[in-house]
Amino acid sequence: MLKLENLARHFGGIKAVDGIDFEVKRGEILGLIGPNGSGKSTTVNLVAGLYKPSAGRVIYEGHDIQDLPPHERANLGIARTFQNIRLFGQLSIWQNLWAARVVRESGWAGLKARWFATAAQGKLETEAYLEFCGLQHKRDHLAANLAFGEQRRLELARAAISGAPLLLLDEPAAGMNSEEIDDLDQRIRKLRDQGKTILLIEHHMELVMGVCDRVVVLNFGRKIAEGKPAEVQQDGQVQAAYLGSDSDDAFMQAALQA
Amino acid sequence: MDFYIGLLQVIGVHTLLGLSAWCVLHTGQVSLAQGGFFAIGAYVAGMLTAMVGWPLAWALPTAALFAGCIAIAIGFPALRVKGLMLVVATTAFAEIVRLVFFNLKWQVQTPNGMVGPDGGLGFGGIRYFPANALSGLEILSLIWSVVAAVMLFLWLLDRSRIGTLWRAVGEDEVAAQSAGINLTAAKVSAFGIGGAIAGLAGGIFSHNTTHIEHGNFTILLATFAIAYPIIGGLKSLLGTLVAVVFIQGVLIEGLRFLGDWRSLLFGAMILAVMLIRPSGVISAPLNLSLFIFKKNATKLGSSKGASHA
Repeated sequence: MLKLENLARHFGGIKAVDGIDFEVKRGEILGLIGPNGSGKSTTVNLVAGLYKPSAGRVIYEGHDIQDLPPHERANLGIARTFQNIRLFGQLSIWQNLWAARVVRESGWAGLKARWFATAAQGKLETEAYLEFCGLQHKRDHLAANLAFGEQRRLELARAAISGAPLLLLDEPAAGMNSEEIDDLDQRIRKLRDQGKTILLIEHHMELVMGVCDRVVVLNFGRKIAEGKPAEVQQDGQVQAAYLGSDSDDAFMQAALQA
Repeated sequence: MDFYIGLLQVIGVHTLLGLSAWCVLHTGQVSLAQGGFFAIGAYVAGMLTAMVGWPLAWALPTAALFAGCIAIAIGFPALRVKGLMLVVATTAFAEIVRLVFFNLKWQVQTPNGMVGPDGGLGFGGIRYFPANALSGLEILSLIWSVVAAVMLFLWLLDRSRIGTLWRAVGEDEVAAQSAGINLTAAKVSAFGIGGAIAGLAGGIFSHNTTHIEHGNFTILLATFAIAYPIIGGLKSLLGTLVAVVFIQGVLIEGLRFLGDWRSLLFGAMILAVMLIRPSGVISAPLNLSLFIFKKNATKLGSSKGASHA
């Protein structure tokens, strides 16, 4: 469904992403992991179109989407969430969802739906996704006033309402407690069951190892491993990348136990 | 009485000008070009009635449409830049417009003699209102019907999806484009509609004063245009109206007795608004008690916390 070919992005002398190849298959949850600074977020930004690649190609459904601006990629079917939550803070919850609803109608009907639909229509159209994020009772609250976990849920719903078949989730569990992570786990599975394909960038090993079908590991902008979660955990290069010479790294311990 | 009618006319025209900036500010852009669109509307509407002999009912929409088209044409290149660079670009545009009218000499023979823009001397003889024997009160009601119509239009716009998209772009451009919103379409549409409203305001202005010149359209006018919605708050349209009444009615006219000290107080009051109501006069309900008794409120909070522990 999504294919990265020798994708690279250099910032001056820093090779944030240095020629990676992998493929996201339809209907799977692919985990993208790696230590800090290994190029995960840069990869997401390259796929979403916020950065232009220095080399290589991004292919979505057989089309090279290199030259498309971010909003066209979103309309084509690639939606995302952000590592640092980026909601429309001064908009109400249903407006946050409504603004992200992608209009598929064309011609006059599309023009009307895209620009001139009324607030009443908006409340109706966002109903199902308000339920998905469990915020029906707060539909008229400002997004900025939501609790942290609720904001994450709303952002996920905003990505889902676009109708995009491919979701890029950039560290959705960051700052969550274990209860919220369990909840997130359920939601991600629910999205997959609805037929979405998910690229999950995450630091939280328990979540990644539990929910992902396959995992790609990056280090210093290069892919060092790819495979089923259990295989990747046993990979010597992956262990070295996370542990280095310091075998007390709690992070990898957690990963090995998961 | 005439003084108050005149003041209310000025307030009406400036409300339209403020609403034009309100549109653009919604998308998070600060534009100083509104004075330029206002000038274009003023000259075009004036030329259509005084030189061509059109009725005002035709001249005003044409001037608004013309200013809106110019805004869209300017918008595509100008809105590629953001923040301070956009301020510089739009300031440059407003100055270009002013200097074009400073140099424009194009007079035609009409039954009332030679009429038309006369360079630095300005453009006089826009005598549509006196020629049709409209009284001050009639002009006033005309102006305020236009203000009401524009406010209704913008209220509907704000409640439709376009308003939500404008606000979303103003909140966070990166999130907006990742959510599939076309930034250029959102910004240029706001710029175009804002430009048309400024042109409409300019057309009314030139007919109300009967004489316009380049000095009417300086950067000061553009500063006022963006000050109204910022001081009034972007949450509601009424905020802009309140801000215009406050600035034009209270600050500029009401404080005239202070002489040169007026501008000092003017600045102080804007500072006060920014301190007390950072998101505008009409934003959240004003809770004065919280402001005055802040110390007590925090004490109460901490003692509550202590009792929990």
